[in-house]
Amino acid sequence: MLDLINPSRIFHWIDKLINFINSIFFILLLIALTFALILSPPDYLQGDSVRIMYVHVPSAWIGLASFTVIALLSILNFIFKIKNFSLITKSIAPLGLMFTCLAIVTGSLWGKPTWGTWWVWDARITSMVVLSIFYILFILAHKLIKDEGKAYKASNIIAIIGLVNIPVIKYSVDWWNTLHQPASIKLDGTSSIHTSMLLPLMLMLLVLLLYCALILLMKYKTEIIRIKRKNIKRI
Amino acid sequence: MIENFISMNGYGLFVWLSFAITFSTCAIIYYKTYKTMKKYEKEFAKELEQLSVSERQLVLEKSRIASQVLASYNKSI
Repeated sequence: MLDLINPSRIFHWIDKLINFINSIFFILLLIALTFALILSPPDYLQGDSVRIMYVHVPSAWIGLASFTVIALLSILNFIFKIKNFSLITKSIAPLGLMFTCLAIVTGSLWGKPTWGTWWVWDARITSMVVLSIFYILFILAHKLIKDEGKAYKASNIIAIIGLVNIPVIKYSVDWWNTLHQPASIKLDGTSSIHTSMLLPLMLMLLVLLLYCALILLMKYKTEIIRIKRKNIKRI
Repeated sequence: MIENFISMNGYGLFVWLSFAITFSTCAIIYYKTYKTMKKYEKEFAKELEQLSVSERQLVLEKSRIASQVLASYNKSI
């Protein structure tokens, strides 16, 4: 089982996966953008500004999901000491930070026409800022701590502490009175979003997830080469 | 019709800016990540080529990753 996550085994598939994603990415992007900008209807209340949702919501989801994955892998790494997990978390972190920042910026651009303000210290927005700070600390731990073992340990601790913030973000709109609207999409089937808007949202999510996979594979490949290069004489 | 599409009924600035920021950031990160990967690949392949024939043979036999990197580098030049 553990052999399946052996870098040598995974490395063989990385180039193939990168080529596959590259071959379908632009077609899917074109379809998703057509739905998001042309075919989906404007909202009865927010008008065309609702189209910002198609980049804002997937960005926020990816930012949250990335940190959750990083934290869970960090916990597993603490228990089982699998170095490969550290390489994966290190590769995911910049992506997570990027999408968290994109969610904040596009949220601000959506806030101006709908709330009448660029920024408010709302519970959801503040907890997203806290998430971006955890990402920055995680990345800085790798950049500033020279000893690789200590850097991995410090970043794992940061990720595990940061995990506390994830439910706070998720339930902030229910626990506090906020300007941010509650979730429209629920896994229990009580979603309040119409299919004509759900479809472009899911398409855009798929496109951004493929993009994440592409970047993650390239970053992971770079990390493996970096380690192999360092140990070239020991091979 | 095109004018309506661009202005988005007065929300054009916000909508287009959101999409532009998202996709230009994605493009910049893709470019930087790709460049870094290729740089590491090139440097690793060059280091492999600088080894003596016997050393290189040994490294390539023992490391599947090293042989793949060298093969893809040789293919790209």
